[in-house]
Amino acid sequence: MNFDARKYVIIVFIITVGLIYIVRLFFMQVIDDSWTLRAQEIAEKRKQIVPPRGAIFDRKGVKVVSNRTYYNLMFIEDEIKHLDTAAFAKVLGWTKDSVALRFKEIVKEQGTYRDKNDNYKKKPNYQSDRPYAFIKEMTLEEIATIAPHLDKFPGFYEEITSMRSYTYPNGANIFGYLSEVNEEEIKEDHFYRRSDNIGRAGIERFYEKELRGQKGIRYIVTSARNNELKPYMDGIYDTIAKQGPNFKLGIDILLQEYGERLMNGKRGCIVAIEPSTGEILALVSSPTYDPNLMVGNRNIAKNYPKLILDKDMPLFPRPLAAEYPPGSIFKLLQSLIALQEGVITPESGFPCNKGMVGCHNHASAGNLMDAIKFSCNPYYYAVTRRILQQGKKKSVFADAEIGLNKWHKYMMSFGLGQKFDADATGLRPGLIPNSAYYDKWYGHLRWAFSTIRSISIGQGEVKLTPLQMANIACIIANKGWYYTPHFVKSIGNKGSLPQFRVKHRSMIDAKHYDPIIEGMRRVVYVSGGTGGRAKINNEEKIVVCGKTGTVQNPQGEDHAVFTCFAPMDKPKIAIVVFIENAGFGGTWAAPTASLMIEKYLTRKVKDKEKEKRILEASFKN
Amino acid sequence: MRQGEKLTSHLDWPLLITYFLFLIMGMATVYSTALDPDHPNLFDYSQKYGKQVVWLGISLFLGLLVFLIDSTIYRKFAVPIYISTLVLLVVVLFMPPINGARAWLQIGGFGIQPAEFAKTGTALLLARYISSLNIKQQNLNSVLVANAIMIVPMILILLQPDAGTFVVFTSFLFVMYREGLTYDPLVLKLVNTIPGVKFKQTWVGTHFIPIMFAIVFLCIVTLLLSNNTITFSFLPGLIIPGFFGVILSLIVFCLIAFLFLRFISTKRERRRITTVIIIAFVLSASIASSVNYLFQGLRKHQKDRIELFLGLREDPNGEDYNRNRAMAAVGSGGLAGKGYTNASVATIESNHVPESETDFIFCPFAEEWGFIGTFILIGMYMFMFLRIIMIAERQRSRFNRVYAYSVVMILFYHLAVNIGMNIGFAPVIGIPLPFFSYGGSSMMSFSMLMFILLKLDSQRSHVLQ
Ligand SMILES: [Zn+2]
Repeated sequence: MNFDARKYVIIVFIITVGLIYIVRLFFMQVIDDSWTLRAQEIAEKRKQIVPPRGAIFDRKGVKVVSNRTYYNLMFIEDEIKHLDTAAFAKVLGWTKDSVALRFKEIVKEQGTYRDKNDNYKKKPNYQSDRPYAFIKEMTLEEIATIAPHLDKFPGFYEEITSMRSYTYPNGANIFGYLSEVNEEEIKEDHFYRRSDNIGRAGIERFYEKELRGQKGIRYIVTSARNNELKPYMDGIYDTIAKQGPNFKLGIDILLQEYGERLMNGKRGCIVAIEPSTGEILALVSSPTYDPNLMVGNRNIAKNYPKLILDKDMPLFPRPLAAEYPPGSIFKLLQSLIALQEGVITPESGFPCNKGMVGCHNHASAGNLMDAIKFSCNPYYYAVTRRILQQGKKKSVFADAEIGLNKWHKYMMSFGLGQKFDADATGLRPGLIPNSAYYDKWYGHLRWAFSTIRSISIGQGEVKLTPLQMANIACIIANKGWYYTPHFVKSIGNKGSLPQFRVKHRSMIDAKHYDPIIEGMRRVVYVSGGTGGRAKINNEEKIVVCGKTGTVQNPQGEDHAVFTCFAPMDKPKIAIVVFIENAGFGGTWAAPTASLMIEKYLTRKVKDKEKEKRILEASFKN
Repeated sequence: MRQGEKLTSHLDWPLLITYFLFLIMGMATVYSTALDPDHPNLFDYSQKYGKQVVWLGISLFLGLLVFLIDSTIYRKFAVPIYISTLVLLVVVLFMPPINGARAWLQIGGFGIQPAEFAKTGTALLLARYISSLNIKQQNLNSVLVANAIMIVPMILILLQPDAGTFVVFTSFLFVMYREGLTYDPLVLKLVNTIPGVKFKQTWVGTHFIPIMFAIVFLCIVTLLLSNNTITFSFLPGLIIPGFFGVILSLIVFCLIAFLFLRFISTKRERRRITTVIIIAFVLSASIASSVNYLFQGLRKHQKDRIELFLGLREDPNGEDYNRNRAMAAVGSGGLAGKGYTNASVATIESNHVPESETDFIFCPFAEEWGFIGTFILIGMYMFMFLRIIMIAERQRSRFNRVYAYSVVMILFYHLAVNIGMNIGFAPVIGIPLPFFSYGGSSMMSFSMLMFILLKLDSQRSHVLQ
């Protein structure tokens, strides 16, 4: 018998197995990538490198927000072997119990989830093979006492982290602060991992995406015992962490510091803007707090409750979010609208008859400039009546409706009654009522000027934020236009955001601003003016144009307000000072504004007497 | 040896070159897997690659010796060689166990695995016995003797225990099959006891061995794959349960076989081929289905036992620990691999895949060179096997032919089981990948197998036996 044909059986057998294996390998290696994922799971660690955030400089180039290195004491439970709790506690300077407590606390902090695969049982998010921070954000001095002993406690290691550091204890409400991301934020933005920090308020929050920079990722090969061995594939997939760009602010940190000092002991705010650019020079919210108090989660845990419970609300950014009736500074806008509407001329005079509204004792204003100087209330009742009741309709109610809505449009063109598109968080829109607003209160065609007359003098329903008040001064200084107020002058070398380079125009012709500016000059420099204290060193070297205001406050002492710009011919700074419960605007607000202007334009203040008077004043009860 | 004849004349260069290529690739893989950056010198004997270089040197030296000795001694001394390997297999059973098996003989500082050499001994004796048989002597008696030659060392090896080498010994069944020594006499004896039945030959008995192996292969693959699912990265959402994957593969495979066979066959045979393939498909599909059905129907502890046997439960820390990691290493190689020395899963240092320099050396190779590498590697093995079969078939001596078939089947078994366990087709039973795996005994024994074959082949025209 010949068995030679059987060699083909063997050959076919061998080739078949070979082909099956090749096909299988093709599937495993080329097509199906679940094995690649499995390999990553097994043997790779993605290490994120969080870069320091972008540094922040003021308009003069002073570094105001920088980063400082801190240390986290990390641990991975699976790598801890026979922890000598007593010895470990001794190294930390803790008690044994608090070490055990801290472990429990970490597990609790991670929260729980419902396991789909196990009857939706509650299970902890904590995983014993992952790193967690045992102690966060220690200073170099703190870690220095611990680090030398760490090799005795396998599973524990130190990790470098960076946190904010503030050169001046000022500007807290501008910069905001950082704190740990929460679960929702992690879900929303895959940039974040647990225990990363995120901007919580102010510039840190608004510019979070720019400031945080780009994370680097290192892929590391790990062993079965979870040791880090080497960069994965010589690091060809690694990315380098990139720090966020340097930010340049419009803020003048020395002016800011001075403003905060002047406002010490007072509730209120100062907002200073450069009219030609819309850059905010100073934004004081008083009382405020030292931004260094809110650096690091340990500090936040300690200080945040105190700050949030303080009845003077230091965390509340008053200049952006507080809505006050503007008081008499509103008269400037009424004048402008009346001129544009042609219902008055600069030479129009109205008697100061105190029948409808009170006024202080002064001669009747024979023209608009003097009306501003005297801040005459009856005058502005007459002016506003002319704006609202132009006689276009027979019915006084229908007429008022048309008038008010026209007036509302003018006010909107000054940036009022709406939120600025500014680079800040917590901005409020204020309130400029229109017909719909009053219809809701009184019913359609059930109101006229006489019903709503208190808006004439910036009382009643009208509300503005201090930022809007300051912006009014900018518009007047610019004779009709403004840039949206903003903090950041430049991100890296890319300049400010595009929306800050768009000129917004008011509906008032430039020529109508001249009498207003003259009136504001008279407020300060002509006898009988309400803002004489705004003069700088009693000289007329730097001409300040301003307007006082006294905001009636049913709850207590009236609020003082002063808005102004200087110098008159070439405005460099527009400013509003708002001091709660300080009474008449000319007494405290005007001199404070003058000190700020002098500080900004000359870098020093000559009149120490005046400065001392403001510094020592307190209106907190 | 005849006077004036060079040692290298009539040498089969393609086979020798393939062998040397494997040595180089194997050495490179051992180096990359075991690389200690502090001792990068290949000849650093404190490292595994340094030791492997020594083993390689010894193996090549033994190969040279083989070449200097006339090939007739293998036939002459087949019995003493076989008996001495048996003695070693007995002696090793009295040695202290290492990793739970009494497989190692300590000689000086080196460990020797007698089981590796028993393969050579068995191959030689089997060759001698079969070559001594008259073609007509293939009766029950000769079948039993040939099987005994194979089974005695198998039992000793099972006592160690060494499941891998045990399985490898069944490769001799194919050798016997090739030589006409099948289980047919046994089957006939049984069948013909039935009154009125008088077969001279049964198809089942004759082709018992390849059929049985095909069935065993199918069963194991079905069992191993039916617990997994197959997913595709480019078609998210498409999830194929493992069992359907097996059936799908069978369909594809039968279609390919059908088209291929139609292409090479004559018109007359086509009908028959269609029938055979349809029968083969129905049979294999029903075997796979019933295995799957039976397995799924088993109780938990029975399942556990089978999984344990298949090596799915080797590690207590996780079902399927070793195989899963090995497959992750292989699969993560992608098309072109991660690059030489860039393996991240299968290195000694990372130790995710245990034994990555010995039994699982295919892992680092596949991880570093990707599908391109594994395709070339399997292609090279296929070439080597076919070359040896070609060599076997050109022998005039039956002794040489039987020996050559033994070599090819032993190597093929090692390849099939070793790579099979890296790609989820075979249970985890530790056997080395020929010429690749770290280890002296396997390197020496494979080299000896190869060099004896080359020597026999080079002198094929001398002896007419
Ligand atoms: Zn008056």
